[in-house]
Amino acid sequence: MILKKSVYRTLKEKKFQYAGVAVLLLLAVMLYVSLSMAITTLESRNETFSEDYKQESFHFVAGGSVTDEQLSLWEDEYNVTLEKRKYADFEVDDSTVRVFTTTESVNTPYIAEGRAPTSGQELAISKVYAEKHQYQIGDAITLDEREFEITGFVYLPDYIYMVEQMTDLLADAEKFGVAVVSSSSFSVNAQTEILGWTGNGDVPDGFREAVSEETSLLQFVNSEENPRIGFVETEIEGAKGMTTTLPLFILALSIAMVLMLMKRRMEMQRKEIGTLMALGYRKKELVRHYLGYAWVIGLVGTVGGLTAGAGLSVPLSNLYANYFNLPALSMFDWDPFVLVIGFVIPLLLLILLTTFAISRTLRTEPLTLLRPKEVSNGKKSWLEKLPLLQKGGFIRRFRLRLLVRNKARSVYIFIGVMFSTVLLLFGLITFNSMDQLVETTYKEILKYDYAVHYQSLMTEETDEEQSPFIMNELGLVDEDVKITAYGIENDNAFIQLSAQGESLQSNLSEGAIISAPLAAVLGVGEGDEIHLQNSLNSDTMHVEVAAVADLYIGNNLYLPREELNDFLGFPEEAYTGTWQKQPPENSGNVYMVEDKQKAIDNFESTTGATRASVAGMAIFAVLIGVIVLTLLTNLIVEENSPSISLFKVMGYHDKEVSKLVLSVYTPIVLIAYFVSIPLASLSLEQTMNTLVQETGFLMPTDVAWWMVVIGFIVILLTYWLSLGLSKRKLKNVSLQEALKKQQD
Amino acid sequence: MAIFANQVNKTYQSGEVTVQALRQASLEVQDKKIITILGPSGSGKSTLLNVIGGIDRYDSGSIKVGGTVLDQLKDRELTDYRRKFVGFIFQQYNLIPTLTVEENVEVGRELSQQPLDMKDTLEKVGMWDKKDKFPSQLSGGEQQRVAIARALIKNPQILLCDEPTGALDEETGKNILKLLKFVNEQYGTTVLIITHNQGIGEMAHSVIRMKSGEIVDSFENENPVDPEKVTWS
Ligand SMILES: Nc1ncnc2c1ncn2[C@@H]1O[C@H](COP(=O)(O)OP(=O)(O)OP(=O)(O)O)[C@@H](O)[C@H]1O
Ligand SMILES: [Mg+2]
Repeated sequence: MILKKSVYRTLKEKKFQYAGVAVLLLLAVMLYVSLSMAITTLESRNETFSEDYKQESFHFVAGGSVTDEQLSLWEDEYNVTLEKRKYADFEVDDSTVRVFTTTESVNTPYIAEGRAPTSGQELAISKVYAEKHQYQIGDAITLDEREFEITGFVYLPDYIYMVEQMTDLLADAEKFGVAVVSSSSFSVNAQTEILGWTGNGDVPDGFREAVSEETSLLQFVNSEENPRIGFVETEIEGAKGMTTTLPLFILALSIAMVLMLMKRRMEMQRKEIGTLMALGYRKKELVRHYLGYAWVIGLVGTVGGLTAGAGLSVPLSNLYANYFNLPALSMFDWDPFVLVIGFVIPLLLLILLTTFAISRTLRTEPLTLLRPKEVSNGKKSWLEKLPLLQKGGFIRRFRLRLLVRNKARSVYIFIGVMFSTVLLLFGLITFNSMDQLVETTYKEILKYDYAVHYQSLMTEETDEEQSPFIMNELGLVDEDVKITAYGIENDNAFIQLSAQGESLQSNLSEGAIISAPLAAVLGVGEGDEIHLQNSLNSDTMHVEVAAVADLYIGNNLYLPREELNDFLGFPEEAYTGTWQKQPPENSGNVYMVEDKQKAIDNFESTTGATRASVAGMAIFAVLIGVIVLTLLTNLIVEENSPSISLFKVMGYHDKEVSKLVLSVYTPIVLIAYFVSIPLASLSLEQTMNTLVQETGFLMPTDVAWWMVVIGFIVILLTYWLSLGLSKRKLKNVSLQEALKKQQD
Repeated sequence: MAIFANQVNKTYQSGEVTVQALRQASLEVQDKKIITILGPSGSGKSTLLNVIGGIDRYDSGSIKVGGTVLDQLKDRELTDYRRKFVGFIFQQYNLIPTLTVEENVEVGRELSQQPLDMKDTLEKVGMWDKKDKFPSQLSGGEQQRVAIARALIKNPQILLCDEPTGALDEETGKNILKLLKFVNEQYGTTVLIITHNQGIGEMAHSVIRMKSGEIVDSFENENPVDPEKVTWS
């Protein structure tokens, strides 16, 4: 059809507007495609690695030694594969290297480059650790005055998320790495853990009980509770939500914009449509013709987005790969579904909705279209009849009428600003809550420097510098939640439970104090009851929630020590650990030492990545804001060009005209901004609450005054930028052309 | 093609007011003739033309154009009727601003099974030299020539012109009239011209007068004059 040319020329003439919506669409598709492809790659690497390299189903540490014969007996009885693995930690350049013996049937190491260590002087080390510390294959590394040669880079199936302690939130290769040596060459004073593998990943029924009958169990961790294994999946799940929601929002926004542009185009071309109809063009042909716009925008947006997304997914996958220690068993995994959802669905949606919008206009009789615009449009709407709009001078009435007449524009401006603001505040809040989380959790509440966990139950007096506590994992009646219960001293200097800066310590006498994540997971608050269950003997206990502390990490519950001991059947004076300011002097009975500073460092050294993503979010917010606002103000100028040229003819300056026509929307922008603030806070809180079950920590989502100021400045600048862009257009409104348009 | 209209009625309802735009209008136009419709503003001229052209419907009565009875046609059939048989010329030209002269004419050509030759048509309306210009680069008379070419190229049986010279001066207007007469003679197209300009009636084979929706007078012109010689007013 020759009419196609008309589409291309119009697109060229209005490239600003159409490119704007195409970019919006492109962003949506790009975001979706890159994230989902990166995640698919991550997911498939994770699956392949854990299956092919026999990722453990569980591991445990026994108090006494377990013989190989005993292992064989359990293997036969419970149909599991068991293997012992020794490990020891070494301090190297201010970091910890955990060295493991090479296993053969569970958690088999994957050597990515170089070769596996064979002799006593060789080891293979984790690649990210080596990169952070500038070790290359062939280099020597000294562990405890013993020199080893690095023969290769290794990945361990149970250290995909490489955290030192299982309670650590963030992995940091600067501080911690893993390595393997050949089994024979490990002669140091090492710990032993027993790894278990079952085909389906579950712990066999009764196995745990059988082991604890035979020996004391210091630790028993199944893979679901092991963050080094499970965190990847958590992250994948979380990211999956993100891959759909954000792009979906942008997609909806861009489709709304396309529809608006289409409506506008049809409005401008009423006469042309009428003429074509009178000439004998069929509705179907005209629909096809006008759909040309949607096709061009849709194809540019989706194909561009797909290409950009596929390109972006590679560095994104690598970023993930650095974050998680997953070998690149596969490079580039696409799910064909990603293509379908990233390409077919947006395009289909766009075309269908535009078809609908076009058909509606085409339902009008050709004669009506040929006549100068409807008489009925001259009618005042009920809004315009409001007394408020009848008063005031001409300028005031003109501006108010502009607002009222273009209700849809006002609504879109509102939505656009809201979307940008929410995105921007998401970024700012996340940025801030990282600091706040450290501040309140680690500085205001957890005042100890070291938490020392003992191998067995202790009863002897602690000294002044220590505070004893009992720690035990508890379950809930009828609910699949694991709670870390602490029995603490009421008056101790090492842990000060508080909320909003107020001490809650005295509330301990009234019941349990729980952490914010636990409150979110259970959906309980002050005054509610919790039904605790001892997972070993199925004893149960009711406790009332006395308060929720501003403790943002962990599913923790605090009770007075005697009370918890009583429930657990321990002597009143018993404790399993102490909090203290100094590291423990003799390590004989010590099972594990938590170093708080390490946890903080760990947390903070990783905020770099967060900072980057916050910056990304802010850029996104501004970009979307600019596109949406510019598009809308541009349209407003276009639609009002007859009035604008009239003002110009009358002798108004461009500046005055732009004030008259464009700044009408300033109040809407302001209102939208302030409405968005609580919205952002609430929706982020909601998101955090739904994620807490998987992440185990909660981010404070309070909005601070400085965020409001920064957000305000950014949004205002965005608005001004788009006004500036539209002012250029306003300047270019030619008197002659606008008057001509008014004529017909 | 011959046109028969029999007691056609058409009312418009706008708000409380009902306007009878056509009142028992009956009409008989022979094939291959030029007819002008005269009458004061609001007398129903455009309405009559539009119902004949199939872009408007009537309430009662009957219209038959060639072998097609328009009374019960569905939208789709009406479109096909226009496509095959009717050419429209508007006072405001209604060219597509983003297409060149040639492309605008192409818009009409694509509709037809047996279109005329592009070059031939554009030469006939005298616009071949300017075939690559855009409408905004043309004068009103030139735009009207392009509009005629657009209607003409699909080789319609009837050409319906609603005040084709209304926006033009005498010389340009007469050139358009000459063109319409030429079309009528060359292709045997039935041409209906609405005009306020009494003089244009002199070139037609017959003249119809309307008043308040009624056809009040109609007469044959024994000796239609050359468009050059009509009295312009
Ligand atoms: N869509 C409409 N709605 C309401 N009334 C209409 C509509 N179209 C035409 N009319 C009325 O019908 C009557 C006939 O209109 P029509 O356009 O046929 O007159 P006309 O003879 O062509 O006038 P002019 O010479 O001014 O073009 C007029 O009174 C007009 O106001
Ligand atoms: Mg008329």
